[in-house]
Amino acid sequence: MIRALLVDDEVHAREELAALLAETGAVEVVGTCGHALEAIPALRALRPDVIFLDVQMPKVSGFELLTLLDPDDVPQVVFVTAHDEFAVRAFEENAVDYLLKPVERTRLGRTIERLRRGLDAPPAGLAQAAIKRVPCQGARSIRLVDLADVESVRSSEAGVYLVTAAGEHFTELTLRVLEERAGLFRCHKQHLVNVDRVDEILLGEDDGAVVRTRSGRTVPVSRRFLGALKQRLGL
Amino acid sequence: MRLLLSLLLTLVEAMSFFMALFYVLSRARAFQTRPGGSAARTWLLRWLFFTGITITGSYLGIPLQGGAIANTRAVGAMVAGFVGGPWLGLAVGSAAGLHRLTLGGYTALAGAVATTMEGLVGGLVHRELEQREGPGRLPGWRLAFGVTALTEVVHMGWVLLLSRPLADAVETVKVIGPPMILANAVGVALFALVMRDRQRVRDQVAADSSARALRVARRTLGILARGFGPATAPEVARIIREETGAGAVAVTDTTTVLAFDGLGSDHHRAGTPIVSPFSRRAIERNELVFADGVREHFDCPLSPTCQLDAVLVAPLQVDGVVIGTVQLYEPRHRRFRSVNRSLGEGLAPLLSAQLLAARYEEAKGLLTAQELKLVQAQVNPHFLFNSLNTIASVLRTDSGRARDLLLHLAAFFRKNLKRPPDLATLREELEHVGAYLEIERARFADRLTVETDVDPALLELRLPAFTLQPLVENAFKHGLAQLTGPGTARIRARRAAGLALIEIEDDAGAYVEPVGGDGLGMRIVDKRIKNLLGQEYGVAVTCVPGELTRVTVRVPAPEARA
Repeated sequence: MIRALLVDDEVHAREELAALLAETGAVEVVGTCGHALEAIPALRALRPDVIFLDVQMPKVSGFELLTLLDPDDVPQVVFVTAHDEFAVRAFEENAVDYLLKPVERTRLGRTIERLRRGLDAPPAGLAQAAIKRVPCQGARSIRLVDLADVESVRSSEAGVYLVTAAGEHFTELTLRVLEERAGLFRCHKQHLVNVDRVDEILLGEDDGAVVRTRSGRTVPVSRRFLGALKQRLGL
Repeated sequence: MRLLLSLLLTLVEAMSFFMALFYVLSRARAFQTRPGGSAARTWLLRWLFFTGITITGSYLGIPLQGGAIANTRAVGAMVAGFVGGPWLGLAVGSAAGLHRLTLGGYTALAGAVATTMEGLVGGLVHRELEQREGPGRLPGWRLAFGVTALTEVVHMGWVLLLSRPLADAVETVKVIGPPMILANAVGVALFALVMRDRQRVRDQVAADSSARALRVARRTLGILARGFGPATAPEVARIIREETGAGAVAVTDTTTVLAFDGLGSDHHRAGTPIVSPFSRRAIERNELVFADGVREHFDCPLSPTCQLDAVLVAPLQVDGVVIGTVQLYEPRHRRFRSVNRSLGEGLAPLLSAQLLAARYEEAKGLLTAQELKLVQAQVNPHFLFNSLNTIASVLRTDSGRARDLLLHLAAFFRKNLKRPPDLATLREELEHVGAYLEIERARFADRLTVETDVDPALLELRLPAFTLQPLVENAFKHGLAQLTGPGTARIRARRAAGLALIEIEDDAGAYVEPVGGDGLGMRIVDKRIKNLLGQEYGVAVTCVPGELTRVTVRVPAPEARA
């Protein structure tokens, strides 16, 4: 059985696709998500073989979701959308297939064929664009936090938080993704810092240090990363 | 002393003759500088006239012993200069001077030189006034008197200088000096008075007709903005008749009488074809046609008992093309007032300008109609296919509801594909939006609430068709659809301060000022409301980020029913 995650902001669209996939007898729907950010932890937790991904969703599109994923979490991708204007882009993203809603049974059958052939090979590397705004889940909507406002990022058992002058925002993105694609600097196993927002480095006793950000917060710097940070800051 | 008095009397006599002659001739066209007239011809006529007067001045003078002539030659030359400038003054003065030489006598040369000089001096006064006070200025009587008296004194000087024997010259100057200086100065001063007076009367007529034309223009402005045709022409005709007091006023297009107001309206009727040759000529040649009722009569082609006798037909044009005429009529035995004539001449371009403005407005309206089509054609394919997908899904569990949704979708597209009328009622608009909302509610079933609160008294409110749909669609596309949690759309219609306010609100609060080509839908809705209902109405947006976006449509409230 192919394990699939469905991501679409319309409940009926999810139900319809789930019903069609069930009819094939080849796919097990392991989860459904109502928007892109919900999919990030679901992918990590469920490790599906394939994601059936809508393109137009609140704030963060299906394409953008792919740029936010940790490479370890990326499954095969099938886009499912109402209109064919995104088809070219979809194939640039190395998607396995591109389905138009309402989805036809026979067309879906071909998609399953392709998936079966492709599942033996590892997922193709997806194009990874730079992240300029970091999406964070709010109460009712997704907030896009401008990278320039981010002073540092901390990771704890509860999750990853963006630290800005105004406060902290929970994000589903991993430190690794933020380090590699958002240009934030790794200064500690559990911390990233925005070098543009660093005010000063305060050297500590045991070879470690802390940096103070413009808003006066401190971020620990471990010995391992201190040299590189100094170099990056031109010290 | 008696000689002096009789000389003065004779000179004044001559002057009176000039004055009478001038008064009559000054009414002739040659003395009215008008644009478009032949300048050379006017100049020549003036030269002939003033040279005539000046030479007559020699003849009407009194010959004295030795061939000297006590005369009023200075008048013609000086006035010619006042009216026509240095060249005309010089030409008149020298012609009359040459003529004086042919008459002989020992003062002939002095007289010829003096007259030539006087023409030139008059012309220099003209030029000076023109530079100081603008074209067409004439000297006042004091200046005229002073300048002439001075030049006549110089004339006497020429006699003493050029005429021999000197003893005779001195004697002659003693006799003719005072009466000639006085008579010529008085004569020229009188001319100046008369000419100034005539100029004032002409200015008055022009000012009066301009004021009236502007009054008509002000009153017709709003009317012609609605277009030029059978609907607006009667009001225009009535206003022109009120302002001019003309016997009758007609407004036509190029083939048909659009409106006729006043005498003869029993047989001159709106809707009948144009038959008068005057109208035809005005339309064909794009020129003003005037039958004064004296030399040329308006022979009514429709009724032998028609009283109308004089007519002025002024063509109306837009971009140089005649699109109709305005016609002023007077009955027999009533003078066609010159004020009305110049008013008719001035009014046509003013009304034409208004028509041009109306055309422009119309073109703007057409443009928005084109843009409206664009918005309609913008029917989002995502909306269509997502709706169909939703229906396909609902069909699995509830075929009755799926059928309802299909019907809503059909209703929505039927409205969208129809070419809308300019205005629709709020009820029709809400039906259109209602179909859309039903589908969106099905699509976002788990997270969308729609609340509607419409004052039932406003259901017949008229507003531009296709006003609500783009605004509601915006609230979804840019607001509610961007939420990951529950959202609410509210549509309200209420009356406030003489206005009808329709509010479309969403609690996403995601509105951002549109940049570039975005926000086209809202801009067009706003423009259509302003074009169709007035500049003071339209669409306004308020946004509290993260809380709500409210789009308010302001349109005039319908009259409250008693």
